[in-house]
Amino acid sequence: MSGQTAVEARVARPRRTLRSRVQRVDSSVSPYLYISPFFILFAIFGLFPLGYTAWVALTDRTLLNPDTHFVGLLNFTNLIHDSYFWNAVENTMAIWLIATVPQLLIALFLAHLLNAKLRARTFFRMCVLLPQVTSLVAVSLIFTQLFSRQYGLVNYGLGAFGASHVDWESGRLSSWIALSVMVTWRWAGYNALIYLAAMQGIPEELYEAAAIDGAKSWKQFWNVTVPLLRPTIIFTVIVSTIGGLQLFTEPYLFEPLKQGATGGSARQYQTVVMYMYEKAFAGTQFNFGYAAAIGWAIFLLIAVISLINFLIVRRIRSVEH
Amino acid sequence: MATVAHGERVRTRRRPLSRRLGSAGPFTYLFLIVVAVVSAFPLYWSFVIASHDNSAVSAYPPVLTPGHELFHNLGRLFNSGEVNVNFWTALVNSTIVASVVTVSVVFFSALAGFAFAKLRFRGCSFLLVAVIGTMLVPVQLGVIPLYIEMVHLGWANHLQAVIAPNLAAAFGVFLMRQYIVGSVPNELIDAARVDGCYTFGVFWHVILPAVRPVAAVLGLLTFMTTWNDFFWPLVVLGPRNPTVQVAVSTLASGYVQDYALVLTGTFVSILPLLVVFLVLGRYIISGIMRGAVKG
Amino acid sequence: MSKHLKTPRRRVTTLAAALVVLGLVAAAMVASTASGGRTDKVTLRVGLFGDFGYHDLYTKYEATHPNIDIKEDIESYPDHHSNLAKHLAVGSGADDIESVEVGFIAQFKSQPNLFVNLNKMGAKSLSKQWLDWKWRQSIAPNGAQIGLGTDVGSLAICYRRDLFKKAGLPTSRAAVSALWPTWQKFVAVGKRFQKHAPKGVSFIDSGSNVFNAIIGQLNPAYYDSHGKVVVGSNPKVKSAWSATMQAVQAHESAGLAAFSNDWNTGYKKGTFATVTCPAWMMGYIQGQAPKSKGKWDIASVPGGGGNWGGSFLTVPKQGSHTKEAYDLAKFLTSPASEAYIFKQTGNLPSQPALYKSKAITSFKNPFFNNAPVGKIFTDSAKKLKPQTTGPHQGDIQTAVSNAIQRVEQHKQSPDKSWKQFLKDVKAVA
Repeated sequence: MSGQTAVEARVARPRRTLRSRVQRVDSSVSPYLYISPFFILFAIFGLFPLGYTAWVALTDRTLLNPDTHFVGLLNFTNLIHDSYFWNAVENTMAIWLIATVPQLLIALFLAHLLNAKLRARTFFRMCVLLPQVTSLVAVSLIFTQLFSRQYGLVNYGLGAFGASHVDWESGRLSSWIALSVMVTWRWAGYNALIYLAAMQGIPEELYEAAAIDGAKSWKQFWNVTVPLLRPTIIFTVIVSTIGGLQLFTEPYLFEPLKQGATGGSARQYQTVVMYMYEKAFAGTQFNFGYAAAIGWAIFLLIAVISLINFLIVRRIRSVEH
Repeated sequence: MATVAHGERVRTRRRPLSRRLGSAGPFTYLFLIVVAVVSAFPLYWSFVIASHDNSAVSAYPPVLTPGHELFHNLGRLFNSGEVNVNFWTALVNSTIVASVVTVSVVFFSALAGFAFAKLRFRGCSFLLVAVIGTMLVPVQLGVIPLYIEMVHLGWANHLQAVIAPNLAAAFGVFLMRQYIVGSVPNELIDAARVDGCYTFGVFWHVILPAVRPVAAVLGLLTFMTTWNDFFWPLVVLGPRNPTVQVAVSTLASGYVQDYALVLTGTFVSILPLLVVFLVLGRYIISGIMRGAVKG
Repeated sequence: MSKHLKTPRRRVTTLAAALVVLGLVAAAMVASTASGGRTDKVTLRVGLFGDFGYHDLYTKYEATHPNIDIKEDIESYPDHHSNLAKHLAVGSGADDIESVEVGFIAQFKSQPNLFVNLNKMGAKSLSKQWLDWKWRQSIAPNGAQIGLGTDVGSLAICYRRDLFKKAGLPTSRAAVSALWPTWQKFVAVGKRFQKHAPKGVSFIDSGSNVFNAIIGQLNPAYYDSHGKVVVGSNPKVKSAWSATMQAVQAHESAGLAAFSNDWNTGYKKGTFATVTCPAWMMGYIQGQAPKSKGKWDIASVPGGGGNWGGSFLTVPKQGSHTKEAYDLAKFLTSPASEAYIFKQTGNLPSQPALYKSKAITSFKNPFFNNAPVGKIFTDSAKKLKPQTTGPHQGDIQTAVSNAIQRVEQHKQSPDKSWKQFLKDVKAVA
């Protein structure tokens, strides 16, 4: 782009050779240099603890007792026969299902609405992000109050419609629903904005063409928007899966008595991470070896479910341009 | 499935954009208003309770309008003789932690995202997958050894313990990469190289300005996430040197249950974030719309 | 120059921003590592899980020890002990004085190397100050004394006179105490109460509080003297369960989880008429429902004595001021201090000499209708039989609370819940 006379080029050549050598080194080293902060930090604060956890899972390490013995796969075999673990898996999957599926559908629908020509567009768009601003602790406290058996707003509302009060915390399905409401409330707007952003990339001509073909807005949505959003939908499904299966703070703070972190008197809403926390930190056990094994099981669970989700969502029709 | 036969002239009357994309009819507005109310209600309700005394929480029928006790409760909240946690320390701590982490994450994510997006090197795809793979690891998995690590470093109970592990984020790297791939034309980079820039020069002069929209989004999200982080600060900081979330939780597990005080605490904990959000959010949201984060 | 190069001013701004950030980081590091300031002043931190009534005592101590500054940290009961275990294990983060409740003392004394042996500090000469069994409760297997006893939780029943009146029951404490010499009679009184009780009011707050009270009267309870868990084989535990279940199934229980928010609210709203009351519960009731002053009274507990709760002050070895911490702990558990605390919060001293002191035995609490709480609780304390506790006491406690709640929430029949409880106990012990 910048022109150079022949004279300048000749004069510049010797310098350019050194320079180009430097540039070659720069080109080959820089990429690794730039990604290294991330990997170094991950190595120190992510990988090392992981490796240590892998080791701990093969021992009977407890917090207070320094004597540790290698027990091989004992923790894992115990885990497979642990009905409380599978109960936690069931709870986690159920809450995740009830929370994620409606949530993403609502998010999609919301994004579609927010994409239209609206007055006070930015206001509405910011409103849906408000739940993200509210902290988890605050959300849990507030929602626990709302779902309280005797004094909660939800039961009050139910009573106003003539329905009977529900003991949200005590029931199995009811506690799942209450927790799912919390999760949906928190994440629907966030995902809606992600979809909305992606929708900005859809060219208008496609809508025009669909409109010409006689498609109403709803059909346009399904036939144009959704297929083109497929990569984004995959992204949100995977991120929601990873996050949803790690659910901890909401059920932890939902419990009236935090003594045991058992997820209710019958462990009706104990998630897998909560179970791991119970084994590691609650009560008197401090059974780190077992908790580490649970941690690895969680990792496996997340990986498998994410993969399944990925494969399912992939099958959304894609559009040939 | 709608297809466009290229070259075919569009002959119909141009209908307004709103109709094409789905007009914002009354149903839309109604639904969005309901959504807005539902989104804001818990925040509003916590404000209501914070402005009453403690009896309002268990009032039946429930209280829905603000009272007059807010300043009184605020005074009690910051009176460390009355509550079991130093709330002011918590606010300062959270601000420091969230600010440092945000700047760091945005910077390092842009750096790594740039490398993955525009630089060619061996192992690029594999390493990118590795980055994404790190997101699969549940945070709580490495808590115990990480805690022990912090103790060995002498950082337990200090802010470094919550700052250091969060200085880079896979989500940020991924987000930046996707954005840079789509939105930074290679010509710009080539031009900068021709101008004599080394790779860092390209980064500094081309990439950083170009990623402003997504950097703002990432910055806001990171700030919010760090501000709201609960589990790890709870484990490594404890109630003596808390961040704001730990402080609120400590308030809530206090000896005497004073819900008005607790919700005053949550309200105060949300305020800084709300301010950041209101100030920057507008710019960011329109930035998203312009910049288009492609998944 | 290419238009994409930043202007110098931009660079300066960015640089300034970076410096600000670095400055913040530096400030953070300085702020968090700075100690109290002056090097001659010693700050002692006391870690508690409730209000032990120490505030005025701190002021007194600081007045006579000008170089000592005392700070108190209060966390919830489960968090406090969990965090303590964590801090002990990693060797940092514990307070200079840490309180340990009797439910956890067995667990901590099994690791005596983590605590200062108070005998070596001179506590051995003070041992006669305490109830003999209280002193022995905090002695580790290797003979080290790791704690100084604070209070004991001798039992009574706190009841609401106004609610009893509405249900047609007698209200004077003598009459009420005569109603229930045994737990069976207690359950029967409950049935009488429920017949004419005001709407929404239950006789007891929760089954688990009744259960804990009955267990508090037993020895052995969960553990035998050899440290073996005998929950399943001890018939007294089973009969405690049966009595509790009778009350629950007669709809006498409000089904609240003790120490939960709903339970606290229950005090304010008067949703239950009785609660098993160790001495320290008095302070709790006063704090939760100050407006109910005068409506409460105290009667004797079925079965006479019994102990529920009670704590110790320990000095973790990792502290940097263990001598000063020991001196403070000695002061806080001295007879004079414990007598003072009794009048503040109702926590019953663990010092038998005080049980003879007129000041204590004649003390009446106006909140509880001027009940002679001094006499009631010291009488109950004299009948106290120590109970052998074990390292996993807390877990067994949680398991049984859940088991009782499951029945109260109609999720399981008493038999099924009991069986699951036994399985849970086996898993932890």
